[in-house]
Amino acid sequence: MTSTRDTLVRELYLMRFSWAMQDFPKDKQVVRELRSEIDVAASEVGMRQAVADLGHPRVLADGYLSELRRPVPRWTTGAVWGALAVGAVAYLAVAYAIGTMDTIGQMGGGTLERAFLGATTTFTHDDDAMSVASTFTWQVLVFYACVFTVPFLLGARVWRAWAKAPVGRPVAA
Amino acid sequence: MDEPRDPQLLKGVLPMLVLALLTERESYGYELVTRLHESGLDDLSAGTLYPVLNRLERDGQISSRLVASSAGPARKYYLPTDTGAEQLWSTARAWQQLAVTVDHLLARATPKETS
Repeated sequence: MTSTRDTLVRELYLMRFSWAMQDFPKDKQVVRELRSEIDVAASEVGMRQAVADLGHPRVLADGYLSELRRPVPRWTTGAVWGALAVGAVAYLAVAYAIGTMDTIGQMGGGTLERAFLGATTTFTHDDDAMSVASTFTWQVLVFYACVFTVPFLLGARVWRAWAKAPVGRPVAA
Repeated sequence: MDEPRDPQLLKGVLPMLVLALLTERESYGYELVTRLHESGLDDLSAGTLYPVLNRLERDGQISSRLVASSAGPARKYYLPTDTGAEQLWSTARAWQQLAVTVDHLLARATPKETS
C-alpha cells in the first residue's frame, strides 16, 4: 500500500509534469498512464527511486513533446501573455484615473470628461464626491479583445497548429 | 573502460531496440527498462523510455493490455503489432547497412588499437 509520503512525492512530481504537458494532445491520459507506471516501478524499487528514474519533470515532458515530431501550439503560454497584456492595460487605465483625480483635486476640484474610442469617461473630484464613470462602446470591446488576442496568438505560436509531421515518418494516429 | 555514450546516438535506435525486445516477449514499462539495462544500456532511464513507448503505441507499432498483478498494481504489457514488426524489419535492415558503412569509414579514419 502506498504511504502518504509516497503519494505526496508522486503527486508533486505529476503536478509539475502535468503543468509542462498542458499542450500535449491527450495529456491527461499520459499523466494517468505515468501514474500507473510510477506505481509499478515503486512496487519494485520504492517510490523515491521510481520518481528519480524519471528525471526532471520538465525534461520528461520535453521527451514526450519531441516524440510528437512536430511543434505544438503553447495555448497556456498564450493565455498567460494575453492575461498579462490585459492586466498591463488595466493597470495603466487605473494609474491614469488616479493621476487625473489627483490633478483635479490639486486644481480645486471639478469634473473632467475624456473620450476614448467613442466611450466617454467622467472624472469627478469635489468636496462632496469622488468618482469615475464611463460609458462602454463596441470599439472599446474590440480594443480589449485585440489587447488579449494578439499576445495570445503570438504567445501560443498559433502557426504551429498547421505544422505537419515530417514526410517519410509515421504519422500519429 | 567504456567510453561515455552520446544520448543522441541511443535516441535514434531506442524505438528499434524496444521493438526488438518486445518481439522476444511482451513486457511492461519498468521491466523493459530493466531488460535494456541487462542488455548493456545501463545508463538508460525510465524517463527516456516512456515517451518512446507512448509514441510507438500512438503510431500503432505496439499494442498494450493491462494485466492484474498479485505483487502490486496492474501492469501494462506491450507487444509489437504487425505494423511494428514490419517497422522493426525495415529499420533493422537500414541500421545494418548504416553500421557497415560507419564501420568501414571508421576503420580508415581511426588508429588501430595495439594489443
